Amino acid sequence: MEVISVQNLHKKFRDLEVLQGINLSVQKGEIVSIIGPSGSGKSTFLRCLNHLETADKGSISFHGNYIAKEDSKTNKAIYISNKEILSVCNKLGMVFQNFNLFPHKSVIENLVEAPMIVNKKTRAEAEKIADDLLKKVGLSQKRESYPFELSGGQKQRVAIARALAMEPEIMLFDEPTSALDPELIGEVLQVIKQLAEERMTMIIVTHEMNFAREISDRVIFMDHGEIVAEGTPEQVLVNPEHPRIKTFLNLVK
Amino acid sequence: MSTEIMYQVGGFILSGAVVAIKVYVATIVFSIPLGMLFAMGKLSRCKPLLWLLEGYTWLFRGTPLLLQLFFVYYGLPYYGIVFTPLIAACVTFVINYAAYFTEIFRAGIQSIDSGQYEAAKALGMNYSQTMRRIILPQSLKRVIPPLGNEAVTLIKDTALCSAITLPEILKNTNSMVTTYFEIKWYFFAAVIYLVITLVIIQVFKYLEKKFGYYR
Ligand SMILES: Nc1ncnc2c1ncn2[C@@H]1O[C@H](COP(=O)(O)OP(=O)(O)OP(=O)(O)O)[C@@H](O)[C@H]1O
Ligand SMILES: [Mg+2]
Repeated sequence: MEVISVQNLHKKFRDLEVLQGINLSVQKGEIVSIIGPSGSGKSTFLRCLNHLETADKGSISFHGNYIAKEDSKTNKAIYISNKEILSVCNKLGMVFQNFNLFPHKSVIENLVEAPMIVNKKTRAEAEKIADDLLKKVGLSQKRESYPFELSGGQKQRVAIARALAMEPEIMLFDEPTSALDPELIGEVLQVIKQLAEERMTMIIVTHEMNFAREISDRVIFMDHGEIVAEGTPEQVLVNPEHPRIKTFLNLVK
Repeated sequence: MSTEIMYQVGGFILSGAVVAIKVYVATIVFSIPLGMLFAMGKLSRCKPLLWLLEGYTWLFRGTPLLLQLFFVYYGLPYYGIVFTPLIAACVTFVINYAAYFTEIFRAGIQSIDSGQYEAAKALGMNYSQTMRRIILPQSLKRVIPPLGNEAVTLIKDTALCSAITLPEILKNTNSMVTTYFEIKWYFFAAVIYLVITLVIIQVFKYLEKKFGYYR
């Protein structure tokens, strides 16, 4: 079953063509990693999926329902209403490089906020889900702490739990470990691996090549706003044919 | 001067403090919410609203408060709008201070990292939910120090109302000084202002502490 499908996605920032015709389809339970040099458009692509950026051209659909549909004449991406976008996009969980936790709310309040406000869950229901998630990411003891009291790795684990609290159908990760000290990366990757074992559908932008190789069903290499290569971790990361990937892999090593 | 007269004079000046505090409270109660509302208007995408609010803050921050008081109290009657000194003072102060608060809140809201909007949106929160639950509470913490500054300035600005015959602290003090030729009443007035500002400073210290539970 197809969860997300993207066709011919284009995005420009002024004169800069950041995405130049991206096509991607992700099946339920599939784990896709996106790798590529800095500035290649990985974040922009991810942000287009949940409308943090507005695409110029192309289509995006979620379970076959269009969020943006390519106009057959002009190729322009025509979006559904903002309200409809929101109701679709809250099925997409997103984890940011800089966590973006709500600093004025305790860990538990960070987790119950959206389920209560957006999904109209009662506090008891929301707290039940939140407590289970905190246990899962190993932070039950930090329930009442504030974000400033947490380490980077703990913050990111809370951010993952916060996204999961909305019971998303797909999780988007934008370099979830890039802002972390090396010794804190492991604990975050561990949580993502656990999700992978549960077959959570995920798209992960990462510079952690070993991690990508280990958990991905498919790896995508992006450069200059295009998908240059796509395949199993073996094909893309272990025996890359494309010279640009070879150069890139040598650089990150 | 007999003790009895001293008490009368002191009481008379203190009654001016009650009037000043009335203006003060009215200004705080109305201009802070107004400023918050106008700040959101200034950040909206509605251009006419934006220009209107730009003009408003420019006009009221760009002209002397004393001039505005004169206009409202002595000028508006020519247009058939007559206020008592107290109402004229309150109206002018609310509109004037709301202009300053608008700018303070605007800066406060704009200082919130765009990641907060993005996180809220990614969780499915709409604009009003995001503002109410995420952005405004965080801006509130950041605007407390500049609000405190304005709050201290405000009590001293109430002295300007003596120019439109409002019997506040300075006006009453002046009339006592000229009646009894005793300048010590100026010191008395100064002490009243100092006591009030001390209270205001303490209130804002408390608020800063209250919002200090997070960073
Ligand atoms: N809001 C924006 N306005 C203008 N240009 C932008 C904006 N966001 C991104 N860009 C530009 O678009 C290009 C792609 O950026 P993007 O963040 O998608 O790259 P990336 O592949 O995620 O890189 P990195 O690995 O460094 O995170 C970059 O050249 C960047 O400068
Ligand atoms: Mg990026």
